[in-house]
Amino acid sequence: MTRTGGWLLVAGALALPLWLPSPYHLHVAIMAGIFGVLAMSLNLLLGYTGQLSLGHAAFFGIGAYTSALLTLKLDWSFWPALAAAVAVAGAAGFVIGRLALKLRGAYFVLVTISFAGVISLVSVNWIELTNGPLGLPGVPAPELGPWSLRTKTAYYYLVLAAVGLSYLVCRRLVRSRIGRALVALRENEPLAESVGVDVTHYLVLAAVVSAAMAGLGGSLYAHYTRFVSPEVFLFTYTVTMVIMVVAGGKGTLAGPLVGAVLFTALPEALRAAASWQWQMLAYGVLLVLLVFFLPRGIVPRLGVALRRPEPVTPTARR
Amino acid sequence: MAELLQHLLNGLVLGGTYALLGIGLTLIFGLMNVVNFAHGEFYALGAYVSFAALALAGSDFFVALLVAIVAGAALGWLCEVALLRPLRNESIDTTMLVMIGVGIAMQNAELLGWGGVAKSIPHPFPTAPLVLGPVAIAPLRLFVLVLAAGLIAAAWLLIQKTKLGRAMRATFQDRDTAALMGVSIGRIHAATFAFGSGLAAAAGALLGPIFLVYPSMGDLASLKAFSVVILGGLGNLPGATLGGLLLGIAEELGAGYISSGYRDAIGFVIIILVLLFRPSGLFARQERIA
Amino acid sequence: MSNCSIVLSALVLVALATLAVPGESQAPIKIGVIEPLSGPVAASGNYVRMGAEIARDWLNAKGGIAGRKIDLLIEDNKSDPKEAASAAEKLIVRDKVPAIMGAWGSSMTLAAMPKLEEYGVPMVVETSSAAAITKRGNPWIFRISPPSEMEALGLEQYVDKLGVKRVDFLAVNTDWGRGSITAFGDMLKKKGAAVGVAEFMDQSATDMNAQITKIKATGGDTLFLTTAVEQITLVMKQAQEQRLGRKIVTTGGSSSPTQLIKQAGAAAEGSYHIVFFMPWFPESMPDGKLAKAFVDEWAKRGHPFEGLTEGFRGHDGIATIAEAIRVAGKDDPKAVREALWSVSLMGVNGPIKFEKDGPAGKESGQSKPSIFVVQIRDGKVALPDFLAKK
Repeated sequence: MTRTGGWLLVAGALALPLWLPSPYHLHVAIMAGIFGVLAMSLNLLLGYTGQLSLGHAAFFGIGAYTSALLTLKLDWSFWPALAAAVAVAGAAGFVIGRLALKLRGAYFVLVTISFAGVISLVSVNWIELTNGPLGLPGVPAPELGPWSLRTKTAYYYLVLAAVGLSYLVCRRLVRSRIGRALVALRENEPLAESVGVDVTHYLVLAAVVSAAMAGLGGSLYAHYTRFVSPEVFLFTYTVTMVIMVVAGGKGTLAGPLVGAVLFTALPEALRAAASWQWQMLAYGVLLVLLVFFLPRGIVPRLGVALRRPEPVTPTARR
Repeated sequence: MAELLQHLLNGLVLGGTYALLGIGLTLIFGLMNVVNFAHGEFYALGAYVSFAALALAGSDFFVALLVAIVAGAALGWLCEVALLRPLRNESIDTTMLVMIGVGIAMQNAELLGWGGVAKSIPHPFPTAPLVLGPVAIAPLRLFVLVLAAGLIAAAWLLIQKTKLGRAMRATFQDRDTAALMGVSIGRIHAATFAFGSGLAAAAGALLGPIFLVYPSMGDLASLKAFSVVILGGLGNLPGATLGGLLLGIAEELGAGYISSGYRDAIGFVIIILVLLFRPSGLFARQERIA
Repeated sequence: MSNCSIVLSALVLVALATLAVPGESQAPIKIGVIEPLSGPVAASGNYVRMGAEIARDWLNAKGGIAGRKIDLLIEDNKSDPKEAASAAEKLIVRDKVPAIMGAWGSSMTLAAMPKLEEYGVPMVVETSSAAAITKRGNPWIFRISPPSEMEALGLEQYVDKLGVKRVDFLAVNTDWGRGSITAFGDMLKKKGAAVGVAEFMDQSATDMNAQITKIKATGGDTLFLTTAVEQITLVMKQAQEQRLGRKIVTTGGSSSPTQLIKQAGAAAEGSYHIVFFMPWFPESMPDGKLAKAFVDEWAKRGHPFEGLTEGFRGHDGIATIAEAIRVAGKDDPKAVREALWSVSLMGVNGPIKFEKDGPAGKESGQSKPSIFVVQIRDGKVALPDFLAKK
């Protein structure tokens, strides 16, 4: 019966464009999907290894820039550019994973912030490569064989496929030996080490997969908005991802998706519900209330377990 | 040569402001393990309170400073008791998110209340610079530097010499043992957060007249404060002071001799290097807390 | 997994329900506005909004357009291109506006532009200065603000009188700042001035002493400064602290000299400012009566005087769109775009009339705004001495 529910959900997502009232709602759904990929990628680190990366926008931005530059300057087509975006972001994740693997907790947070800060300044100042603060307008829409995926509906399915793929990768990873090793690390690192879990190896692996997925999100973002500028590295993007993961429920497979849908729709709903003066204030207050009353997130709180119950013990304080 | 001396003096003055921002945060971060991204908003709060007291109520510069400290400490205390205390056993990202939410709400409440236009805080000092041989410095900056040094010294004395300070240090070193010895952890946390927030507000009241007061002023302040904390080591007041000075001078020289576009990158690169090679901070003596 | 999916679907439904389209009411004519109303440049965005509201109220007081009132739908882009694109999408699809004014910063405008092309809705650009905006071949763009090159050409005739021989640049590290340095640098080189260093500052930076110390060492006579008024204030104060002793010329029209006098005091004395509106002497504007009325109305509403140099943009943008809707005779985006090519009106800045710019066949519209230079003298804003007595 769990399988039935899953298929129902997939069917609902596939049919979504049919009953959404306007392209604007489809736009919100596409953004939710892109952020769903990003939130799932952050969740691999935050939820399963317990390491908070506040530089995740860097991998997102690297993916966006890689894809945009390859299609604009070297006339690559979308698919190889997408693959390159994933690869380059993954490579950046490898570097950060190797460098930071000795750091935990707050120290890891600060290395990742600093990394994102440096990358962001490079994107602003390396004019010859990135076109600097003016950004890269005119990123082409993707094509699939003879078809252009320019329309929103087509792009929605592309994003949906990416969400599905990312979900499957996460599930596969989490339910394998690797996932159990990661959770063991999160819960008690010395103990895990003592029974032979190779800490370095698994942390780097998690960082690479996580960064590669963020790069995927970045590429999808670039070809959807068709404009990339240094603002993709904005700290608020990282904060948004963290909000989605923590509010949805970190360390659960569905949590980041729930968070992504909720926190993409919320600012848009606030546009409709409140005049502009109150929108950001309300956003801040709602965030405080949500985290305060559901500190472990929506999905765990509802008692929703996936096939195997996930441990919802608090992450060890460091 | 004159250029280099001026750069060094600028860096020293700038570093003093960074140190002032960092010391409050290093206590909160080190003792409570809260990644407080609202720290810069307490800085902005201090600046606005001081502006209100000076420009609207016509009070004295030092009275305004005191009012700002009290307001910052009171709101900090409230935040701890109402929001952080119930979440004390949650993970670091949960409390961080709560404080991010508080920060967003505070910043936008300021925007709503004061409007986005920058305010300038009046001060009684002459604007003509003091010329010392080849270099120049504004009297106000010199005054703020001295006052900041005084505040940092006072904070250090409070932690080293008072009973509250001793309890704070004990909690920092080993929370469970401190609790067993009869230290009320709840009270210490509330006091620490109020103290750190009061210091941030003091920084706002002091730096407001040098710079300008506007709702988003806290963003940069938060980031710089975190850099200072990492350079100096968690919970380490002398370390934060030195870290602030180092960051100020490094940025200044980097912008002067390397590239002003990469100015902020210099701070980030130093942080990355420090974390990779001396993860407990440049000036740390004690082991980092686990 | 069924529980989980029910929860998920419920959440999706709740989220979408709150987004549902409200009842249609066709009575007023809607005009979309996208400005940075929160975040670091909130002050400027809000001034533009205030100006736009004055234009709306004036038009409505005169009976609106063909008896229909004008309604402004104002969205905040939070200085974030992603938000600018979302806001454009929302205004076009959900609110069905026939035209938009926005989006202040160039990267916000550039991010919103693909949406205009996708849905075919024109946008009047009121502030952005990047050349790329009208050169990209987006036929839905109509700009009333000057790109940096046009601004530099506007200053060219005064370069000799200003006595610029050796110039340095200090600019905010954005497309605007970098674009200004290129445009003014080229123009000044052509006029035979020597160009020294070009220094940058982050948009949120507050301490520019390092840059100033470096600039001081070049020994030039003039500093061209391009950034928002807050940073201009800080640079001027810090330049005074370091005895920089340069002629300062600010570009971009966002300098608000009145605010500088208030906040930088003596440090602002003697500086020159390129502005697109002179609220100190409205009678010297191309349409003195309109400019005077705008200044009076602004004061009547209690808006701060120093916001006028930014606020007029909002008025002119909305007035342009309203005129186009009037000419078109209906609030249909395509008709409004056609009409924009034929509008000719007097704004607070001066005459607004669009000429073709960009690749043939897909031209954007670019108006030629009036450009003025003022000087801060004796704590007051004055025409520069070389213009004053004529």
